[in-house]
Amino acid sequence: MHNDIASLINSSVPGANASVVNPPEDGAGDSSVLVDSSKIYEVCEFLKTNDKFPFPVLQVISGVDYVEYFEVCYMLASFNLENSYQLILKTQLKDRENPELQSVVPVWAAANYQERECYDMIGVRFKDHPDHRRILCPDDWEGFPLRKDYEVQKVYRGMEVNPEAKMNFEDREFEVRKKEMEADLLKRQLERGH
Amino acid sequence: MQTWDMGIKELQDETQDESMNTELLTVNMGPQHPATHGVLRVEIKTDSEIVAQAIPHIGYLHRCMEKHCESIDYRGIIPFVDRMDYLAAMNQELVYSMAVEKMLGTEVPRRAQVIRMIVSELQRIASHLMAFGTYALDLGAFSPFLYAFDEREKILRFFEEISGARLLYNYFWIGGVWNDMTNAHVSYIKDFLDNFEGELEKYDTLVSSNKIFLERVNNVGVLSVEDCFNYGATGPVLRGSGYKWDLRKVEPYLLYDEVKFDVPVGTGERGSTIGDCYNRYIVRMKEMEESVKIIRQCLDMLEPGPVIGKVSKVIKLPKGEIFYRQECPRGELGIHIVSTGEKTPYRVKVKSPCFTHVSMLPFMAPGQMVADFVATIGSIDIVLGEVDR
Repeated sequence: MHNDIASLINSSVPGANASVVNPPEDGAGDSSVLVDSSKIYEVCEFLKTNDKFPFPVLQVISGVDYVEYFEVCYMLASFNLENSYQLILKTQLKDRENPELQSVVPVWAAANYQERECYDMIGVRFKDHPDHRRILCPDDWEGFPLRKDYEVQKVYRGMEVNPEAKMNFEDREFEVRKKEMEADLLKRQLERGH
Repeated sequence: MQTWDMGIKELQDETQDESMNTELLTVNMGPQHPATHGVLRVEIKTDSEIVAQAIPHIGYLHRCMEKHCESIDYRGIIPFVDRMDYLAAMNQELVYSMAVEKMLGTEVPRRAQVIRMIVSELQRIASHLMAFGTYALDLGAFSPFLYAFDEREKILRFFEEISGARLLYNYFWIGGVWNDMTNAHVSYIKDFLDNFEGELEKYDTLVSSNKIFLERVNNVGVLSVEDCFNYGATGPVLRGSGYKWDLRKVEPYLLYDEVKFDVPVGTGERGSTIGDCYNRYIVRMKEMEESVKIIRQCLDMLEPGPVIGKVSKVIKLPKGEIFYRQECPRGELGIHIVSTGEKTPYRVKVKSPCFTHVSMLPFMAPGQMVADFVATIGSIDIVLGEVDR
């Protein structure tokens, strides 16, 4: 089905470069369709309105930070009682400093909050979004928590974030010790095996 | 036309006269407000008693559980998933553990599947009872809350016995369930169900057909199916609008294809309009009846056997990603797991139904009376732990 959708996108939205991404050979899970980030609005609009595989519902927008690039996944669903199918539509953003995508709020109203969350967590900006603010973190929070290189800010509005006196270091030390013990155990098991 | 029948637009037209123009008043509802079901702040701009605009401010309960998940192994995430929707923790665990099982290709023993169904349906009843009780409380009726908690307590007592905890269970493990059910548990559930059917009739006479209650909820906050699709609403909100969509029926998981049950939808009975607060409410009440039916059939399906499948000691998911969704009491909960083949997930993203439903409030509020807005918030039944994650 994903092959059909990819070829349908390619024939209707020029420049979308849709391709099917299958899970790796030693892997598992869902396959998805990858499109060019500059045509995301056109692709979404087409997917919602086409006759063959209409997707009236946008369930969630999930941003993933792969360090070299950001991936924004749109989870679409048909909500058709006879023929229920869903699609992971992906697009990649190489620009780490200023990642930007066209907002799809005019297509699905659900995108409003989802894009705000995506901006809040990953830091992808959405062009022409009607209400482009943070949603879960405070408006003046620094950094984007779900990026892989995120570091919590030291001071927020004069308050110390994670003050040492209130941190539970015993647990952390225990975690470190546990990891060492596990590695040690694994090593010994391997030695015994060979 | 009475003033309270007018929308904000008509009211503004009426008061075109400069001297009559009213100024919009900003009122903060929350973060600590009994009607917001947790720490939700809704900034409402009102024109006298009519809401002109509502802006939800969420995030007060934000713990960034998704970030935590990136540093915890797959088994350790289950307690975190519990803490999202703390009123339906079993269902959340089920979605997560089944998503991981799907990636691993684990086979879950039949007895474990039946237990999972029984427990998650009981959790659905408990969650809907909470929704019912607090909704009546929102609208000014106190005693239904006590009746609902009486029954919910019985379910929690069973959960305590089976899992050791009353609210956050860590009961569904990857590959099955932690603890087996005994015959005593089965007879306890049977007794509970026999009693509960009578209770449901009592709720019907006490609240559902109550004239005062009907006046408060009929024709308030009407949503069409198109609106629901546009905003991505699922669960009782979508079914209340008359669309017969239930993942347990459409894409059966566990053993839902072996049991017989109906999918209740809003029909616009008792003077209501399809898609209004009353229909969303009544769908939940009818769903409880269906859950009772499902549990009864499941109890007959219980056969002796193991309750946990074979899972390796250290769980490493194969490379790839999965988006898996299920029907939870508040709507469809989806989990997006990205794995790079490590012991910990690379990314976990949760599609929360309550988050989606909160985003509908600015759409539903304009033109409503403030008291009707309270009824609207209650009817979409949000849990802020899941909105903020």
